[in-house]
Amino acid sequence: MARVLTIEDDETTAREIVAELTSRGFEVEAVADGREGLVRAAAGGFDAITLDRMLPGLDGLAVLRVLRESGVETPVLMISALSDVDERVRGLRAGGDDYLVKPFEVEEMSARLEALLRRRRAPERQTVLRVADLAFDLVTRDVSRGGEAIRLLPTEMKLLEYLMRNASEVVTRTMIFEAVWGYHFDPGTNLIDVHLGQLRRKIDPPGAPPLIRTIRGAGYSIRAEA
Amino acid sequence: MAISPFWRTSRFRRTLIYGAAAAALLAGMLGLIYAQTAGYLGREADKILRVEAAALETSPPADLPRRIEQAVHDDPRHIEIYGLFSREGLRIAGNAPGLAHLQPDGRSRELGPTEGYPETCRVMAVRLPWGEILVVGRLANQLAEVRRIIMAALMWSGGLVAVAGLALGAALSIQPMRRIQAVREASLRVAQGDLAVRLPIAGRHDEIDMLAGVVNQMMDEIERLATEARSAGDVVAHDLRTPLTRLRLLLSRLRQASDLAPAHAVTLDEALAETDALMGRFKAILRISEFENQRRRAGFRQVELLTLLEQAADLYRPLAAEKGIALETVAHGSAIVQADPDLILEALANLIDNAVKFTPHGGAIFLALAVAPDGPELVVVDNGPGVPPEERAAVTRRFYRSRRDQTRPGAGLGLSIVAAIAHLHGFALVLEDAEPGLRAAIQCWPRALSSGEA
Repeated sequence: MARVLTIEDDETTAREIVAELTSRGFEVEAVADGREGLVRAAAGGFDAITLDRMLPGLDGLAVLRVLRESGVETPVLMISALSDVDERVRGLRAGGDDYLVKPFEVEEMSARLEALLRRRRAPERQTVLRVADLAFDLVTRDVSRGGEAIRLLPTEMKLLEYLMRNASEVVTRTMIFEAVWGYHFDPGTNLIDVHLGQLRRKIDPPGAPPLIRTIRGAGYSIRAEA
Repeated sequence: MAISPFWRTSRFRRTLIYGAAAAALLAGMLGLIYAQTAGYLGREADKILRVEAAALETSPPADLPRRIEQAVHDDPRHIEIYGLFSREGLRIAGNAPGLAHLQPDGRSRELGPTEGYPETCRVMAVRLPWGEILVVGRLANQLAEVRRIIMAALMWSGGLVAVAGLALGAALSIQPMRRIQAVREASLRVAQGDLAVRLPIAGRHDEIDMLAGVVNQMMDEIERLATEARSAGDVVAHDLRTPLTRLRLLLSRLRQASDLAPAHAVTLDEALAETDALMGRFKAILRISEFENQRRRAGFRQVELLTLLEQAADLYRPLAAEKGIALETVAHGSAIVQADPDLILEALANLIDNAVKFTPHGGAIFLALAVAPDGPELVVVDNGPGVPPEERAAVTRRFYRSRRDQTRPGAGLGLSIVAAIAHLHGFALVLEDAEPGLRAAIQCWPRALSSGEA
C-alpha cells in the first residue's frame, strides 16, 4: 500500500485530501506545519508527498528545496493558491514533480498523484504498448487492433500514447491537455472530449469491446477488462 | 522611437523670438539714426542752397548768366547744379536743362534720377525779380551714401543676429531636449505598465526638475495604491480559493457516500456541476488579474505566428467539425513577433472557442494571418450573428455579457481574457463586423509606442 504525506495547513482541505486518498487505497499521514512536514518527509518511508505552497512555520518552496538538497527524491505534488505562470515554473524548478492550483477537484488531485507514483515506479524501456488487443509500436509508430492496422493523425497518436502509458489509470482532461498539447490553460467547452471522441471512433469500432472509458466526474481511462 | 527635432523645443522658440525682437530693435535704431542723419544733411544742404541762391539773386541780371557758367566751370566734380531759365522756360545758362519747369517757390526738394536731372539731387527754384527762374541744387549722393551704409549695417547685423540666434537657440535646446527625451522614455515605460519607473532629475532645480519631481511623487502614490489594490485582490482571491476548495471537496465526498438516495445523488451532481462552473469562472477571473498584474515578460521570445495559428486550428478543428462548421486557415506570408507563445495560443483558443460557440451549424470559421501596414494580425472570422457595434468595446471588459451570450452557456469571459493577453503584450484586440459575423483581430504591433507618437 502506497504511503502519502500530506503537508497542508487548512484543516478542511487536509481532511478531504486524506479522505479522498484513503478511499483510493492510500495510507495517508497529514501534518499542518512546514517544519514538521520537512522532518517527517526527510525521515523517509513515503511514496509521495502533497505539499501546500503557503505554510506556517516553513514555506512550501523552502521545504521542497531542503528536501531535494538533502537527497530526498520522493515525488512531490505542489498544491498552491498561486496560479501565476512564474509560480508554476518556480515550484517545478525547486524540485516539484507536478503543480496543482487551488481551487482544485479531488479527482484531479488523486489522478495526478497516481500518475506521479507510476512515473517513479515504471521507468522500464517498453517498445510496444499493449492494452488488450490494441498495440502501439513506439519505434515504428504503428497502431493496430486485433492485428488490423489503424491510421491515426499525429495528435491522435500522441493522445493514444499518453492514455496507453497510463493504462488502467484515470487521467483527467487537464492532465491530457497538459501532456499532449503542452499548454496550461482552460481550453473551454468540451474540446478534450471531442478529441477523445475522434480517437475513440478509430480505436473502438462498433462491435469490439470498448477500451477507452469515460470516468464520470474525473476523466478518461484506457483499460482491458469489461 | 523618434526624437523630436530641436526646433520644436520651447527654449529654441523662445530664443528665436528674442532674436527677432533684437533684430527689430536694431532696425528701429538704425532707422532713427538714418532719419536723423538724413534730416541733418538735408538741412545743411538746404542752407547752402539758400545761401547760393541769395548770392546769385543779388548779382546784376546781365551778369548772371556768366556767373552761372563760371560757377559750373568752377565745379570740376559736378556736384553743383545751376539753371537760369527765361519766363517762358527757355534755358539761358546752367547745367540742368531738364529743370525748367520746377515750381519757383523757393523751397528745396529732393528729385529722383528720372525727374529732370540724371542723378538724385536736392534743388530749389526761385523766381528772380525780373521774372527769370533761377535753379540751384546739389547732388544728393552724400545722403545716398549714408543710406547705403546704414542699409548695409542693417543687413549685416540682421544676418548676424539671425545666425547667432539660431545657433544659440539650437545650443540652448540640445540640453533640455536630451532631458526631455529621457523623461519621455521613462514615461513610455510607465505607460507600458512599469509603475516602478521614475523620471530622471538633473538636480538643477529648474522647471523640468520641478515637474519631474511632482510626477515622481504622483507615481509613488499611484504605485502604492496599485500595490495595495493588487495585494487586496490577492488576499480576496486567496480567501475565496480555500473555501471553494473546501466546498468542492465536501460535495464530492458526500457524492461518494454509498447510502445516497437517487434523488439526492441527482441534486448533488447538479451542485457539483454548479461548483465546477463557479470554479471555472473564478479561475478565469484570476487568470485575467494575473495578466493585468504581470509585468515580467519571462516567457517572451521570437514567435512564428503562422505556426501558432496552425496549432490552434488543429486543436479546434475536431470541435468545429462536430458542429458541422468548416475551420479554414488562410495565411498571407509569415510573421515573427516578440511574444509569449503559450499566451498567444490561449488568446487564439478563446477566440476560436467563441467563434465555434456562436457560428450556426453548417457555418464556417476562417483563421488568418494577415499582414497590415503596421504589422501582422491574427484574425478569426465567423459567420455567426456578430456583435453589435455598441457592444464591441464592452464585450472585452471583465464580466460583460453580450445580449448574444444570454441564451448560451459560458460566462462571457473569453474575450476579456483575450483582451488582457493582448494588453500584456502591448497588442490590441479589435472587433469588427464581418457582414455577417464577427471579425476578431489581435493586432500584433506595439500600441503603447505608436500612441505615444500621436
